[in-house]
Amino acid sequence: MSGLGTTSGPVLACGEVHTCLLPTSDAVDERAAEQLLRLRTDEPVRLSRHPSRYAVSPGLLTGVDCWMPSVTGTRSRAVGTVTARAAIVEGRVLQSSAYFSAPACGPDRRQSWGHYLVRPGCLIPVGRLPVRSVAEGFLAGPRQNELDIGPIAESLTARISRHRILDLSPPLTTADTSLRWTATPAAGGKETSVLFTKADDGLRTVELRLPHATTPAAAAGLCEDLALHDWLLTTVAYKLDGLQAGYEDSRLLKVLCSLVDHLLHLWMPLSRVDRTLHTAWEELDENSGYSRQWNALAQRIRDQLVLRAVRSRSELLTSD
Amino acid sequence: MLVLAASDKGGTGRSVTSANLAYQRSLDGDDVCFLDFDFGSPTAAAVFDLPDGVHRAEGCGLHSYLQGRTGEPLRIDVWSRTEHPALRDRPAGSGRLVLLPGDRTGGEFLTTEENRHRLVDLVLRLQREFSFLFVDLSAGRSYAVDLLLTATSPHAGLGRLENRWLVFHRWTRQHVMAAAELAYGSQGLVHAGTAMGHQPDVLSGSIRFVRAAVPDLESPLWSQVSPAQYVWMRQCDQALEELAAGRGIGKARVLASIPLEPVLQWQERLITDEDVYDRGIARNETWQAMKDLAQRLTIDTFWGQW
Ligand SMILES: Nc1ncnc2c1ncn2[C@@H]1O[C@H](COP(=O)(O)OP(=O)(O)O)[C@@H](O)[C@H]1O
Ligand SMILES: [Mg+2]
Repeated sequence: MSGLGTTSGPVLACGEVHTCLLPTSDAVDERAAEQLLRLRTDEPVRLSRHPSRYAVSPGLLTGVDCWMPSVTGTRSRAVGTVTARAAIVEGRVLQSSAYFSAPACGPDRRQSWGHYLVRPGCLIPVGRLPVRSVAEGFLAGPRQNELDIGPIAESLTARISRHRILDLSPPLTTADTSLRWTATPAAGGKETSVLFTKADDGLRTVELRLPHATTPAAAAGLCEDLALHDWLLTTVAYKLDGLQAGYEDSRLLKVLCSLVDHLLHLWMPLSRVDRTLHTAWEELDENSGYSRQWNALAQRIRDQLVLRAVRSRSELLTSD
Repeated sequence: MLVLAASDKGGTGRSVTSANLAYQRSLDGDDVCFLDFDFGSPTAAAVFDLPDGVHRAEGCGLHSYLQGRTGEPLRIDVWSRTEHPALRDRPAGSGRLVLLPGDRTGGEFLTTEENRHRLVDLVLRLQREFSFLFVDLSAGRSYAVDLLLTATSPHAGLGRLENRWLVFHRWTRQHVMAAAELAYGSQGLVHAGTAMGHQPDVLSGSIRFVRAAVPDLESPLWSQVSPAQYVWMRQCDQALEELAAGRGIGKARVLASIPLEPVLQWQERLITDEDVYDRGIARNETWQAMKDLAQRLTIDTFWGQW
């Protein structure tokens, strides 16, 4: 696949990542993950064990012929396929991701499908692509009749959730998130930049400028990693937030334990991100202090558990 | 857990009581979602004191969602949107409380394959976020009932979810017979469910009855009646108890009786502890009965087949 900004390569990549807790009581093992992600018979699920267990489905293509999103209202049409894939992290978190890339221009007339299918995951504009307007429109959310790839990702999550090996009783309630992203080649001189925004309904947007020749798949990989860690941080922070006063000890203990059992070990930024893109995370982390916040939360959970253990021991001693 | 609230007739107290149960569970720290599937008369928005709920749901409520006219049904966060003065400050330690209002726009509604898939996907999405999903179903063997009954059968999409049926009825002859008919009659839940693939004993083990607005003759409300009235009412009560037992909905199958509550007779609403303890307008017995019922939803000894 050719990278961003290369001659004849794409000038824009866009995607959406849905992240949720796998709806089952315990983390699934490698075999179950493979079963869940076997979305095609002709291509295998890829598994990796280091530095954490990770399984990713083969890519699925969805053909589209549609109006591109736009902020300016200029209508532009594109034809081609959107790639989608699902991944399971440590048997515990499910991510579905849909993305496409697009070159600056294409033939002035709609070609036959054969023309579009030779470049999987690519949407080829009919005529010129108003890149900025499409990128901004994509992040703002598609309007009626414009391309919306959210449902493509969502339908993978739905399909996997229906699988019978999941018992549908997750150890804790968590809210899903959607992360919508765009990537364009960085202007000469500057390497990368990241602009991350958060709305309260679980939607995040990320505007990336990435090094020349970054492949759309690598950009999607970076965004899946961002989405995973944002989801972890949001989920754990929310759970602790709700725990202040008013909770009985047994309930509190249950929540703390489920966080330890199921989520705390998942924090491992960049473990699967292309090396050339590490600066994007580093910049984001520098500015928003994600890792520092995560460490503080994790420490708080452990402190609470230790405190409780000490307290119940001293209660035992005094009651003797 | 999926809690399915059904009743053979309207006006049984189904909507008001199940909204109160949802509220009680969220006070206990559970994340709760209430789905208004009473498409004939969606009232949940009013019970939760969300005055613009019905209006906002038009075209994007549950009915529209199931028919594919909107991608995602409207959600209303009760704690932040309610106009009930005692609810606006979300109590410490409480869980989430979200309403998915119904909308009545659009005509016919069929339980097609397509509707069922949309329902299953929605419930699977919601159950990641909420530990309780309360579903208020239109009265009778309505299409809402059939939709949920098919979707929760063992081999359908929601068969793996724990689901419990509450059949609401008032404490009168007509209501007792109708409730028994809805559960065990030839057109009832168990028969229909069996035809849809449910195990009859498992299904009937997951059905319990809630008697709503039951006059408690020993309460001060009735202390002024004449001895003749008292005796007559005792006999009625006794006769109803026998009728219920004879129809298979006797005490052992009753999850709770909610006493007749003057506040609810005047207004469809949530009963808060403030109503009981500070303002003294609602009866403690009602509050306690709602709390007990909410707890019993997850106490296994109250459920199952004997
Ligand atoms: N325990 C109760 N005591 C007195 N009135 C009640 C009680 N429960 C419900 N009601 C009232 O009965 C009427 C019907 O209740 P509702 O919940 O709307 O019934 P349904 O949903 O079965 O049609 C409402 O006016 C409601 O306030
Ligand atoms: Mg009602």
